Amino acid sequence: MKRITILSGYYGSGKSEISVNLALQKHIDYIVDLDIINPYFRSRALHELFKEKGIKLVESTIENMPNSDMPYISRKGVYPFIDKSVTAIYDLGGTENGAKVLIQYQDQIKDFDEIDFICVLNVFRPETSNKKDIIDSIILLEAQTQLKVTGLINNSNLINETTEEDIIHGENIIKSVSEELNLPILYTVIEESKKKLIKHNFLGEELVISRIVARKWL
Amino acid sequence: MSKVLMKGNEAMALAAIKAGCDAFYGYPITPQNELPEYLSKHMRTHGRAFVQSESEVAAINMVYGAAGAGARVMTSSSSPGIALKQEGITYIAGAELPAVIINVMRGGPGLGGIQPSQADYNQITRGGGNGDYSLYALAPESLQETVDLIKESFEIADYFRNPVMIAVDGLIGQMMEPVDVDREVKKWDLKPKTWAADGNRKDHPKNIINSLYLDPQDLENHNIKLQKKYTEMKENHQRYELINMENAEIAIVAYGSVARIARTAIEILAEKGIKAGIVRPITIFPFPEKAFKELPSSVENLLVAEMSMGQMLQDVKLANECRLPIHFYGRVGGIVPEAEEIAQKVIDIIGGQSHE
Repeated sequence: MKRITILSGYYGSGKSEISVNLALQKHIDYIVDLDIINPYFRSRALHELFKEKGIKLVESTIENMPNSDMPYISRKGVYPFIDKSVTAIYDLGGTENGAKVLIQYQDQIKDFDEIDFICVLNVFRPETSNKKDIIDSIILLEAQTQLKVTGLINNSNLINETTEEDIIHGENIIKSVSEELNLPILYTVIEESKKKLIKHNFLGEELVISRIVARKWL
Repeated sequence: MSKVLMKGNEAMALAAIKAGCDAFYGYPITPQNELPEYLSKHMRTHGRAFVQSESEVAAINMVYGAAGAGARVMTSSSSPGIALKQEGITYIAGAELPAVIINVMRGGPGLGGIQPSQADYNQITRGGGNGDYSLYALAPESLQETVDLIKESFEIADYFRNPVMIAVDGLIGQMMEPVDVDREVKKWDLKPKTWAADGNRKDHPKNIINSLYLDPQDLENHNIKLQKKYTEMKENHQRYELINMENAEIAIVAYGSVARIARTAIEILAEKGIKAGIVRPITIFPFPEKAFKELPSSVENLLVAEMSMGQMLQDVKLANECRLPIHFYGRVGGIVPEAEEIAQKVIDIIGGQSHE
């Protein structure tokens, strides 16, 4: 895993849940929440867990005003680009518009070898359900952020109703994107409770996640 | 079509397109913005109209106009925005026009907050605007139910020639769930809209859309006519679900997101050997009084759980007709009750630690 991982994808693609799980599993120093699009279900709800695990959270809210409903980006978000001794995950807001906020770091992003810019994909989201739409969204994302996408994550799921076939269906579509754009599938995400049902050997690293951001009864 | 994973607000928007919504007029407000955003992209490709108006008041009056011309029309907003629309809503009800209004509720009063709430219950079920009118108001608990009910709500609005309110909260708007947007829903027996002001036509006389009746006798007659609709809704179109009620010693009364949380609460209680059921109103107007007559004799207490200070509680008291002790648990301001809290309240009630 590279020093800096930037996760992008349509809202509801699973970015926040993957950010949090990756940060916990890979002992990442910083989570930078750049999600100014969605005021609900953000990783900001997880302060105490992060504190306990020693993960520093850079929030997309004004201090002491978590529900202000105002787009806000902390200056602290730039630290991981400057301090080469730390690791970080950037959680970008949904859609290419949410990803625009990355441009502010353009002057600091110099060493592309230390950055993974990853697109999280769930083919059961209508906007990214086929090869053409996914490729179009990646082109748009790259244009808006001025950054090259370096890898893909297969997070194809229907939440509680996900089956192994669903993830395979996702892999087939994402594999065709991967081949066309010459981008590796870095992870295939499997929700903890589905793990025992999975026999297929998926592309990329198998990332087993638990639902930390979403509430149990959802 | 197979299932897709959608966010509540998007799913509601797509449901409207599937239901043949001809026109949408709205003004942005959190937590429902993805709904007009989705429609701004997709209504045009379906040859339909989308207008982001200059205000909520403008939006609801555009709804009034389009509905009067016979279109299938919708608007959406969240609590303070719905408050702004009340004038238009009473005009629409007074002029007997069909329209679908989505309220993705957030905390109040005033500007309140942006987190989920059910504190518009009174605004929705007691009018909100002036005069003797009611909205047919549906309160789904899941995205699939929301999609199905929105699709049907256009039929219901046309059938009664009355606005239908979809009452959900910020959680339903923001959560993700797999949905089948093409599932068949009930078709109502609809007559051609011969009342519509859709130009000089040979097939019907000149129509005027109006809610002004200066002659008191005319206005009383109009009110009596409107009241017949609301009576029919109450008598024949209450909707509710009784969940896990067999041998239940307590019934939790909850709708929308809170009903969903109550489902987890009764599982927690079952592990502790407590049999709890749920009365889930699906219509909040008409309030499902009939459900309370169907409760088994094993039920000894009612617990009303909602994200308000006890607005639905009043309707439960009326429906209960003083038969059972009623307890209340509410969280407000955007705080969503946890299943454990509701379960604990039930334990307190059964242990005699809770007072009515």
